[in-house]
Amino acid sequence: MIKVASMTKIYQMGASEVRALDGVDLFINEGEFVSITGASGSGKSTLMHLLGCLDRPTSGTFEFDGAAVHGFSDRQLARIRNESIGFVFQTFNLINRTSALDNVMVPLVYGRRGSAKAKGIEALERVGLADRAKHKPSELSGGERQRVAIARAIVNHPRLILADEPTGNLDSRIGEQILDIFHSLHADGATIVLVTHEMHVAAQGGRLINMKDGKITDDLTMIQELREQLQRSSTRYIGRSEGASLGEARPLESGVAD
Amino acid sequence: MFFFKICIMALRSLWTNLLRTLLATLGVIIGVAAVVSAMSILEGTNRDILKRFESMGADQIMLFNGSSQRRGRRSMLPSLEAEDVEALLECATVKAVAPEVQSGAQIKYFSKNEDATVLGTTESYAEINSYKVADGRFLTPEDVRAARKVCVLGHEVAKQLFGATPATGFRVKIKGLGFAVIGVMEKKGVLGFRDVDNQVVIPLTTAMKRVFGIRYLTMITVQAQGQEYVKPAILEVSRALRGSHNIRAGQDDDFTVFTQEQLKAQVSDVTKIFAIVLYSIAGISLVVGGIGIMNIMLVSVTERTREIGVRMAVGARRWDILKQFLIEASIISVSGGALGVLLGLVFTDLLEQWTRVLKTHTAAAVIWYALIMATTVGIVSGIYPALRASRLDPVEALRYE
Repeated sequence: MIKVASMTKIYQMGASEVRALDGVDLFINEGEFVSITGASGSGKSTLMHLLGCLDRPTSGTFEFDGAAVHGFSDRQLARIRNESIGFVFQTFNLINRTSALDNVMVPLVYGRRGSAKAKGIEALERVGLADRAKHKPSELSGGERQRVAIARAIVNHPRLILADEPTGNLDSRIGEQILDIFHSLHADGATIVLVTHEMHVAAQGGRLINMKDGKITDDLTMIQELREQLQRSSTRYIGRSEGASLGEARPLESGVAD
Repeated sequence: MFFFKICIMALRSLWTNLLRTLLATLGVIIGVAAVVSAMSILEGTNRDILKRFESMGADQIMLFNGSSQRRGRRSMLPSLEAEDVEALLECATVKAVAPEVQSGAQIKYFSKNEDATVLGTTESYAEINSYKVADGRFLTPEDVRAARKVCVLGHEVAKQLFGATPATGFRVKIKGLGFAVIGVMEKKGVLGFRDVDNQVVIPLTTAMKRVFGIRYLTMITVQAQGQEYVKPAILEVSRALRGSHNIRAGQDDDFTVFTQEQLKAQVSDVTKIFAIVLYSIAGISLVVGGIGIMNIMLVSVTERTREIGVRMAVGARRWDILKQFLIEASIISVSGGALGVLLGLVFTDLLEQWTRVLKTHTAAAVIWYALIMATTVGIVSGIYPALRASRLDPVEALRYE
């Protein structure tokens, strides 16, 4: 579904150039659950913004469902975001003055799908918050707010759900609940890309991508052994891991830095 | 449907910051109220003045003391005398002449007092102004020749002093002198410069010699043979007056000639100046109002940077964001305009009630004009903030703290 080839993103910070992404190649198939980890500044957020069609690469190609997104206009990008992509943010990013239901319905408004209260309610039901539809974000707990945000992300039934540290602002018990929702969405066929620096969160995915300095350093298929190791690990991210090859699970005895 | 939803969103965001929205609107409210009341006052005054002039009749020529020559100093020395009337009546183009002296005085009927304008004139006055008696009779040439102590009361004066009883035949005191009431005038309202209902008419000779002791007239009203004779009459009247005042060739007139048309033109000159001043003030306050809206919208855009990022992330196009903020600005300005119109109407009404003199008139066009102005100001001042919002980079906007 996603086909990225030597994608580079360069930001101009005053006089100096920042290579946020440096020649990334990546394939993601429909129905995958991919975790992306890396230290801050490793380029994982930039990658997510590009995968989310919020931005265009400086060079390289990005195909989404066969469409060459790297050449899209702002208008086309907005459309693909609206129809095919759902975002979940660390800080929820709900609009505080409107109800949960109205928040969920924002993508429907921009999708010009007409009045679709039923769709909004359906999305809220999916995250178990239908009874809170009329509440404003300020009247909801952190976990509930993130569930509203997830409902907003899925209201248009996107093919790709992008989550940027979705549990970062939640305590671990609530975080588990949120991750359970992602699992259930995944089970229903959604493709999920989850950016995190917490190993136990990353362990949820079926595939683990680690980034450093704008490059993909590891791309591992999750196996039970790795998952257990990650969940035991107190490490924040995978430091260096040499010789990692695509799709190959690799124990991390020496690869785990502190 | 989409437009409607965006309007709801805009209303909601404005409602959340109600106080701020009101403050932003205040400039427009005051601006529009200023436009509405300024225009109402101007239009009302204009109509009032024109009505007065029209009540004078287009065939009239008015003569005042003093020269209106632009060169040199304007002489305000009185020059019009009762003798001038004879000279004027000899003019072929002149149909009738009414000399006038005017002063304020107290009219007494037993214990009742009334302040009124006392007008000394001749029998021609009523005819020239087509001003009729309701009861009794008007002055006669004999009253004037003999300087009789008789008076004709204006409608309001009679009502105040006598109430419902007919006043004719009774005696009143003017400045302590006894006068016989020979008639009461019809209700007329405004005639020329005067509120004639509150006026008492006495013979010219009586007024000049017995009551006020003055030599010069206040003004002379000349009626031409017809409206088409006004122009030749002006020349003839001027020549006659210069002759009777012994003014040599080359010397300036010591009197001023006015026609209804000239007065109208003069007034419209004055009201034009007023209009420019009032419109400028109103315009400035609308501009200030626009700046207020722009300021608030800019604050709002900055404050909601993240929200804009989120909206873009879920599929809002730049044009959608632009529209949303433009609609917010328009709602502020339209509601401000509507409130301003209301405030302006209330203010205009109060002004008319308080002053009792000022006449106002609010045309429907003024209201539309003010509303359109306010909306334009709102949209224009909303464009820049809205453009700024729509040009945000979604990634940057989402990252904004």
